[in-house]
Amino acid sequence: MLVLPHWVIQVLQVVVILVLAPLVTGIIARGEAIIQQRRGPRVLQPYYDIAKLLQKETVLPEPAGPIFRAAPYVSFAAYATVPLLIPVLTTFGLPLGYMADFFGVGMILALASFIVSVAAVDSGSPYAQLGSSRLRSFGAFNEPTVIFVTFVLALTTHTDLPYAFGATIRSSTVQVVRPSHLLMIAAFFMLVLVETGRIPVENHGGTLEFGQIEEGRVAEHSGPGLAFLRWGSSVKQLLLFTILMNVLVVPWGMASSGDLGAVALAIGLLFCKALGVGVTVVVIESSFAKLRLYKIPEFTVASFMLAVLAVVIFLFQPGYGDLHLTVFGATATISAVLVLLLEFGMLRSQDVWEQLRLYALSSVVVAALAVITAATGHGNSSLYALGAVTIALKALVFPLGIRFVLRRLDAEPRVPSVIGVASGILVAIVLCCFAFVALRPIHIGAEAALPLSALPVAVGGLLIAFLLMVLRPHAPSQLLGFLVLENAVSVASLVIAPGLPIILALLLLFDVLIGVLVFVVLVQYLAVERTAIRTDLLNRLTG
Amino acid sequence: MSGALYLILAIPLGAALLTLIDGWKLARAATAIAGGCSLGLAVAIGLSVRHGQVLVAAAGWLRVDALGAVFLLGTGLLYAMAAVFSIGYLGVEQHTAGFPSFAKRYYALLNLFGWSMLLVPLAADFGTLWVAVELTTIVSALLVAIDRTDAALEAAWKYVLIASSGLGIALLSIIILYATGTHALGSAYIPRFIRFSAHARQLSTDAVQVAFVLSVVGFGTKVGFVPMHTWLPDAHSEAPAPVSALLSGSLLSAAFYAILRFFQVAVANGDRSFAEHVLIVFGTMSLVAAGFFVLRQRNYKRLLAYSSVEHMGIIALGIGFGAPLAVAGALLHVITHAAAKGLAFLGAGSLLRGYDSKEVASVRGAGRTMPWTGPMFLAATLALSGLPLSGVFRSEFEVVAGGFASSQNVGVVLLLIFVNLAFFGVIWHAGSMVLTSPAAAATGTGAAPGAPLSAHAPGERSVWMIAGMLGCLFVVVALGVHLPSQLSSLLGHAADLLRTPGR
Repeated sequence: MLVLPHWVIQVLQVVVILVLAPLVTGIIARGEAIIQQRRGPRVLQPYYDIAKLLQKETVLPEPAGPIFRAAPYVSFAAYATVPLLIPVLTTFGLPLGYMADFFGVGMILALASFIVSVAAVDSGSPYAQLGSSRLRSFGAFNEPTVIFVTFVLALTTHTDLPYAFGATIRSSTVQVVRPSHLLMIAAFFMLVLVETGRIPVENHGGTLEFGQIEEGRVAEHSGPGLAFLRWGSSVKQLLLFTILMNVLVVPWGMASSGDLGAVALAIGLLFCKALGVGVTVVVIESSFAKLRLYKIPEFTVASFMLAVLAVVIFLFQPGYGDLHLTVFGATATISAVLVLLLEFGMLRSQDVWEQLRLYALSSVVVAALAVITAATGHGNSSLYALGAVTIALKALVFPLGIRFVLRRLDAEPRVPSVIGVASGILVAIVLCCFAFVALRPIHIGAEAALPLSALPVAVGGLLIAFLLMVLRPHAPSQLLGFLVLENAVSVASLVIAPGLPIILALLLLFDVLIGVLVFVVLVQYLAVERTAIRTDLLNRLTG
Repeated sequence: MSGALYLILAIPLGAALLTLIDGWKLARAATAIAGGCSLGLAVAIGLSVRHGQVLVAAAGWLRVDALGAVFLLGTGLLYAMAAVFSIGYLGVEQHTAGFPSFAKRYYALLNLFGWSMLLVPLAADFGTLWVAVELTTIVSALLVAIDRTDAALEAAWKYVLIASSGLGIALLSIIILYATGTHALGSAYIPRFIRFSAHARQLSTDAVQVAFVLSVVGFGTKVGFVPMHTWLPDAHSEAPAPVSALLSGSLLSAAFYAILRFFQVAVANGDRSFAEHVLIVFGTMSLVAAGFFVLRQRNYKRLLAYSSVEHMGIIALGIGFGAPLAVAGALLHVITHAAAKGLAFLGAGSLLRGYDSKEVASVRGAGRTMPWTGPMFLAATLALSGLPLSGVFRSEFEVVAGGFASSQNVGVVLLLIFVNLAFFGVIWHAGSMVLTSPAAAATGTGAAPGAPLSAHAPGERSVWMIAGMLGCLFVVVALGVHLPSQLSSLLGHAADLLRTPGR
């Protein structure tokens, strides 16, 4: 078999990224079109666009100087440098791979963004300047996020080289499902959404619109310059996807030698991983609305807070010893973190319908956890039944029933909040940290196989559910708080007590069912008698 | 004898079903009979376990020992008296529109409420225990809201939200206890009390302590420990009076019973003083806070509600002191408090019917206008304040004496100070209601001149209400004058179960 020299692979990394990037962009655009029931552009359209733009002449705005002219090429060169530094195709470091660490990569990416912003100022166009000033102000929290993500990497590996991190994970796979790692991935993914201009931050690739940020910045460019900017932003997107997948999420499937077949396989797998992220992006773009412009900092702040939480959790996580990665352990931790993140979503949301959807989603996570617990042999097979009942009750009957009642009552869907959303999330983060700090010295003394690191996450979820009830003076929202509290406890129960007899588990669910009925009856009374379900109006009884 | 366990569960449930099939007259008769039968069965069960025997039924899912029987007795008594009292209490509204359906709903829920509270001491494992306690919350929330006034809805919403959240924490404590048990008992087992007590030494102390504290916080929300008590005065003041009596006398102690089961595991695990200190801290906080709140109340039902917080604090202190006498006294206090607070709330209900007001200031001269209710209400408040000749005096005396015996002097002194403070507050208010002249009411409240006094003139409304109160009064006085040897034997064995579980 042909063995490629290292320098060839090094060059190949750059070429692969540059060539694949427009394709990934095209596929995402097409996927979104399909979900929205449009025909959409061809998958190869970005290549055609670039080719077309390259043939056009350049039109410069009057005040434009050399910076404006150089910006597209400088930024493209910066993007083309990054593939040299990160693990794209190989698990081993290539000759130039150790030139820069994670910060170095971040700085090169920042340089590219900076030069485009300066060019926007140079162009003298107020629209482009607005775009770049928005990017600067909304992006203020991106850099701290990157720094805290790097902290987690560095704490885990004692270095911040992207290659070293992948190697650490491969050698001890349990790392990848640690709560801190999962939260870091969530934070980084939100950062990727911001940086690639995706919903909920920005409407990607549309016509000129006043909410635009990234698109606005390049409004004055034309011809080959615009071609390189467009191409550059595709490359940046693929780079971020690559870092997300090849460094943080699944650092597997790369070539461990210069073998041609292995490298070819790595290219294919890289494409598949990028498509995986792309599909997620498509789903998010199609299911959420764009945030109002002044709400965008909330999103970036939330991402930053998650990164901070990841660091704190890392410092207080229970010792792992020589644990091995098991399907059960991985599912338990991932489910717990997912339920937690969905609760953060509910805390952020100010719309009761969205909260209902998020609750249903977290119930599905709980049910999946039950099923996988049974499938991996950690509980008896009656957990399948529990999973089915959970889906039926908590993912279908409760949300649909509550929706039906609220529709009939014609209830106000907007959920007020006692304090600002960002402050609420900050408090939630503090509560989560508290759960970790409080549970750290506690030795449960249960069976060794149980993934006890999921317990503090579940307890954090419990506290956030309380917070949700406290902060939202809105009867249906408080009911959802109670339900999501029950979900958090369910996760805890499945994680540390999967053997709980099914009869008891079903009794508990039955109790919750009756509880929900009573809650709904009371909500109805409240709505009928007081024509309001604002519970902050319930202030007659004091003292 | 284990048939009694089935019967005591079947009868209230049967009565609840009967209320649904026919009119409200059948419903009220069925409720009264079911209450009486439950009391009889509770006494029978108490008698049969008084020497430390254990009744088991339903393949081990139901189990009563001496400790459970104590709580069964309190609940049985109040269920019966509340059922009788309800006949008169609802009878006043008999001619209003929509009464039949309201009465049927009320009686059905009352029976379910009684049933769920009888289920609590019968549960043999932590799972069923939690389910039963949560059921009591759910059913009683509907009873609190049954009047559908703004205040009642507000109270019910607060109650169900806060209590359910507390029970969420309690559920977590059960799960932690279960998880720590997997090491000794295998990965899948039924979390029976006896299994935990028997294997308690093999459990991780950390986990048991966390579970215990969480259970005190979680179930303590329903007990009404300060600072989780905020729902309690609202629910007690807005519920119909018989329901208030059941809430205060039975529901709070049912939740306390759940804590005691965790206490047993914690003690059997080895660290007795930790568990006792937790109870002492929560008991003292409740006592101190309630003492001050009692002073400033203007609503006599809220006054009694805060007095419940205080008495739960006394029970917690009694268990926390740990001396045999104190523990037995605390358990006796469960029964005497149920009787005395039942009497007080029933009396309050009768006053409410007589005067149409919950304000202390509106009720004047009850001693003359309501010759039965007035004195009995005063007697109830005197008993609650721990005056001799009442059962409460006996139980509080035992708690105090036991506290000194185990040299918990600070706790005992605090207890004495704040019991006296509450005494002052309760007697002051109750005295102003009962021992004044009736004329004061008109000037005191500024009642609209020319109001149809004949329709609303204060006075006794129903002999059934008086009968219910007399039943409670009899128990209060009887336990104060003479403690039956059967009961003291039962209490002694129950105290043993708390002091040396696992043997």
